[in-house]
Amino acid sequence: MKSVFNQIVENRMLFLLILFLILFVIFSVGVRGFFTFYNLTNMTQYGVELGLLALAEMLVILSGGGGIDLSVGSMLTLVAMVIGVLIGRAGLNPSLSIIIGILAGLGMGCVNGILVSYLRILPLIVTLASLYIYKSLALIVAVDPRFGPNPMPVSNFPENFYFVGQFRVGGIPFQVLFIFLPVILILYFLLEKHAFGRYLYGVGSNEKAALFSGISVTRVRLVVYTLAGLLSALSGWIITSRIASARPDIGLGYEMQAITIAVLGGVNIKGGEGTIGGVVLGVAIITLLYNGMQLAGIHQIWQLGSLGLVLVGSVFLNQLLLARRKF
Amino acid sequence: MSRGQFFRKREFTVLGLIVVLAIIFSLTTERFLSVSNLTNLLVQLAGTAISAIGMTMVIITGGIDVSVGSILGMSSVVAGKLLMANFPVVVILGAAIATGLLFGFFNGSLVAYGKIPPIIVTLGMLNIIRSLLFQLLGGRWISGVPPAIRVIGLGKWLGIPISMWIALILILFFTYFLNSRPLGRAIYAVGNNIEAARVSGVNLTRTILFVYALTGMLVGFAGLIYVARTGIVQTNTGTGFELEVIAAVVLGGTSILGGKGTIVGSLLGAFLVGIIKNGMVLLNVPALSEGLVIGALILISVVIDVVRARGERI
Repeated sequence: MKSVFNQIVENRMLFLLILFLILFVIFSVGVRGFFTFYNLTNMTQYGVELGLLALAEMLVILSGGGGIDLSVGSMLTLVAMVIGVLIGRAGLNPSLSIIIGILAGLGMGCVNGILVSYLRILPLIVTLASLYIYKSLALIVAVDPRFGPNPMPVSNFPENFYFVGQFRVGGIPFQVLFIFLPVILILYFLLEKHAFGRYLYGVGSNEKAALFSGISVTRVRLVVYTLAGLLSALSGWIITSRIASARPDIGLGYEMQAITIAVLGGVNIKGGEGTIGGVVLGVAIITLLYNGMQLAGIHQIWQLGSLGLVLVGSVFLNQLLLARRKF
Repeated sequence: MSRGQFFRKREFTVLGLIVVLAIIFSLTTERFLSVSNLTNLLVQLAGTAISAIGMTMVIITGGIDVSVGSILGMSSVVAGKLLMANFPVVVILGAAIATGLLFGFFNGSLVAYGKIPPIIVTLGMLNIIRSLLFQLLGGRWISGVPPAIRVIGLGKWLGIPISMWIALILILFFTYFLNSRPLGRAIYAVGNNIEAARVSGVNLTRTILFVYALTGMLVGFAGLIYVARTGIVQTNTGTGFELEVIAAVVLGGTSILGGKGTIVGSLLGAFLVGIIKNGMVLLNVPALSEGLVIGALILISVVIDVVRARGERI
């Protein structure tokens, strides 16, 4: 008994898995309409958008040196607006617009990365600044001179733009099968099988040691911030397609939720520690929680409150159990 | 401090930027130097400056508090509700500060006793308090606040807004406190080297609890000023306020790694952000690009430091 208890406390994955199962059972028994194929697949749609951002946050936090990205919500918004304006107002070919939008995300992440790694400015400061800058650019891009000086959402998309956010393949949302799962697999390969993962964990847990063993700390950090931009861009594209509208305030507050999920998933805020499996479980738990509460008729604002409770509660519980075990 | 030292300080860079911007704005706009505009500028600054006092101390200990926006919202709701029920001003003042203190104390307890990283505690609380606030307001707004309280937000003494006087007094007091009181020195010690601080007898839990509780109190007071100034409380009151305060503190030279920073620096940081926002309105620059300028400025001021410090991390 004692050893089982210890394992649960020490193994974050196991802890999260049990939390997930408990929630799943509670909602299945207590909430009508939860345990249906449609609902279970439908809810994964929401999970993808937050999930991509949480993975972005994971990569950045793993790289250590105070790694954090406050700008993911703003990058998402700017990409959504770029894609929206190019398709809806400039009438550009959707595929080309999407490619330009995603390149813009890559570029924004790259700028963050250069400032963090080459100029050696702390990530919190860099991404606080870029949060403001990208958000402001999104507002400027959203202005349609034909209708005055105010930013406006774009919602006149052609039918074929909706496939990524609204289509299903075998009942499963397109973005889950063809974007989220591949991203998870690629990142899993990168972090667990490829040398890059070892570099990343090395840089995150001990920068000096990594440097002395010949790892380019600057390059590793540049790569993770750029990847964070890419993942945010994917998320922006998917949201725009799902809600059929590009809004200049779409990504507001997403950074906090993404960081919360990454931390809930067991990523150590100091860097170097955390697994992709944990973060995916974190995404699953939060998606489940949001969905179950929505079906139970609890007001949407409590989603955020419950997110906060789960975050503080789970870390607190972990600390408490760890402390008790020591005596 | 010798003169050479002063010129190398971050405060000097920020002060320089403020002066340059003030000159540019007074030359390019007619209204910048007008009494009504400067009053307006100071009134808007007061809440940020007061909250920045606490945030400076939190960041000096190596922590962070991202829940201040929600705490500000919560204390405005409490103050607004009591105002509408015609409670005396003293009660309202006490309630606003107590609300902030309650949440600040809770944050501090979780950080100090629960040993949970500050970013996690305050991120969680940011969301929890916002939900509570929504529940309390029930999706409605509070408006039409009685004029008695609005003197705190709009009144003046010797030409300077009362809220700014309060901010200045608090800044003076806490600058003295940080530099000369044992608990103030302990705050720096905790941020510089927590092990060394512990070994030399600093009460770590008490120090950490103190900075978060104090931040809550000050933000609670800033919430009251907010209600007094605007006369309106909404569900989203205070969202994004945390970033504004953190920006002011970081611009003012407080190291996010802890152990280094001054309250006066944060005041200057708040001034810099305030003056830019104000000047841009006067210059008819669309409000949309405000973030662009603030962001760029944070980067510029930090890069100036990087160049001067030659690679030392800020």
